[in-house]
Amino acid sequence: MSESSRSANQQNGVRGRGGDSEEEDDEEEMLLGGPSATQEDDDEDPAQRRQIRHQYRELINCVQQNREDMLNPSNNKLTEVLVEANKLFANVRQAREAALDAQFLVLATDLGKEKANQLHADGSAFDPSAFAEHLLSFMGLNRLEEDDGMEDAAGGGYLPEDAWLRLAHRAGSCFRKAPTFHFMLGSFLAEPPPPRQRVERQRKAPSKEVKRIMPTQLKKMEESQQEATEKEVERILGFLQSYHNENPELPISYYEFVIDPQSFSRTVENIFHISFLIRDGLAKIYLDQNKLPCIDLCCSAGFAPVPREEAEATSSSSRQQCVISINQSSWREIIEAFDITAAMISSSAPTESASSQ
Amino acid sequence: MSQRRVSHSQSRPSASRQVIEDDEEDLSFTLPSSSQVQRGMDRLTSAEVDRKVAEVVQFILIKDQKKVPIKRADIIKNVIKENRNIYPEIMKKVNMTFEKVFGLKLVEIDVKNHAFILVNNLEQVTDRLASMNPAHPKTGLLFVILSVIFMKGGAVKEAVVWNTLKKLRVDPGERHEEFGDVKKLLTDEFVRQKYLEYARIPHTDPPEHEFRWGLRAESEVSKTRLLEFVAQLHEKEPQNWPKQYKEATTSDARSSQAS
Repeated sequence: MSESSRSANQQNGVRGRGGDSEEEDDEEEMLLGGPSATQEDDDEDPAQRRQIRHQYRELINCVQQNREDMLNPSNNKLTEVLVEANKLFANVRQAREAALDAQFLVLATDLGKEKANQLHADGSAFDPSAFAEHLLSFMGLNRLEEDDGMEDAAGGGYLPEDAWLRLAHRAGSCFRKAPTFHFMLGSFLAEPPPPRQRVERQRKAPSKEVKRIMPTQLKKMEESQQEATEKEVERILGFLQSYHNENPELPISYYEFVIDPQSFSRTVENIFHISFLIRDGLAKIYLDQNKLPCIDLCCSAGFAPVPREEAEATSSSSRQQCVISINQSSWREIIEAFDITAAMISSSAPTESASSQ
Repeated sequence: MSQRRVSHSQSRPSASRQVIEDDEEDLSFTLPSSSQVQRGMDRLTSAEVDRKVAEVVQFILIKDQKKVPIKRADIIKNVIKENRNIYPEIMKKVNMTFEKVFGLKLVEIDVKNHAFILVNNLEQVTDRLASMNPAHPKTGLLFVILSVIFMKGGAVKEAVVWNTLKKLRVDPGERHEEFGDVKKLLTDEFVRQKYLEYARIPHTDPPEHEFRWGLRAESEVSKTRLLEFVAQLHEKEPQNWPKQYKEATTSDARSSQAS
């Protein structure tokens, strides 16, 4: 095992440890920082290994503690440390120590990078402290002129309130900042609409009561209207029948029958009711030899055709219609002409028959 | 480790974007091919497409209020939804709308993770009165930090920043009148908004951090103007710092090329 590891280490030619044949070229190897390859059994010696590890750790610690020092461009401490490590590595035989060496290398390269960066920046000579002083002047620092010299660490004087704002205005043009979206007239806080339930409940209550009254009234009206017409029609039929029975051969003058000399409206109602009788075929109107209308009962109710006023009195085969109209002046003329003094159809019910004028 | 997926149906996309998705968040989204886009467009009326475009524009405008970069995954999940097959076409119109209507530019600051910010596309006015942008004291503070980082080569140890601020009467250890918790402002808010990067320096014990420019700062800040102002404060010419001057001019040339 040890033999193979030795040969592996021998192949580590980078640090100047060559094979047996190169033992004579000690000087070169010395320059590279590695001791001559005396093939002793020191790779087995745990004490030495411990020593090497200890030295590495010390080196790493030292670098970390004195970091600022290492970075100072005015010295070569970083290079010196690298040389140290190189010397140590010469004795490294096994992986454990090599790992420490690797750790150190990482640390050193980081430092190296930082140092190089610093070098890059320092060349342009920018001093943040001086910059701060210039800024203060720009921001309008009022330097107090006091002989006491009560200047604290931050420097004397006081900054005006708008100092930073002043700087912001001037510096703002360096930024291509997109204006922030906002509503021009501001926004409002949306609140839920106030509850409207109260109003609705109040409205519902009265409407129910109103409805109750309505049906009772309606019922009465409907009954009265229908009955009235039918009753009247029957009553008039009754009159017609009774007159006919008294004088079966004597025709009844239509006008005399219909007209109520006391009331025009009743006259109109009579005409209206008689028209039902004629429609139903219970009565008929015809013209006598004087061309005056007469009204007569029909032989058989419902079937007998009713002749028209102008139609021939004898014809009874066809049903005809006509429209009868009357106005107040005609009504008075007829009353005078026929000398009607009393209504043949007497008024019955206590329905108001206000005599219309 | 996140998966790597190559969209096999990918033909040349409209913008030079990464095809390979290895972001955890929009694992489900791969850019559609141009034929897929065409088919998707055929299915919709132009009014429907315009409506989606308008919704995306509004979404981005409101999301930008906090100045935290907007993730592509959020846009797709919340606005585009089922129309993700015409995503490239929608975004093309969105970019156009921002430029032509608002004078803004939608910049993908993080090409890997697909995050966007809005940047002003118009020429910035130096004159205080003519400027339309309301100024905020935080901008002044941010300027100071960004200048120090830039002038010092791109990265500074946090100690440098704290010391500089102390000289300006801003102590991170104390609560500041205008800025409140300054440490939190720098290491949390500005970092989230991608103005700054606050990274741990390796192998330091106790741990130290350094500040760098964030991705937003790279897109939003004109290095030339910044150097101009710094030079003005020193009563010197910008060319007095040749390295920074060179960096500023090349950086601005690069960004004007990209637009």
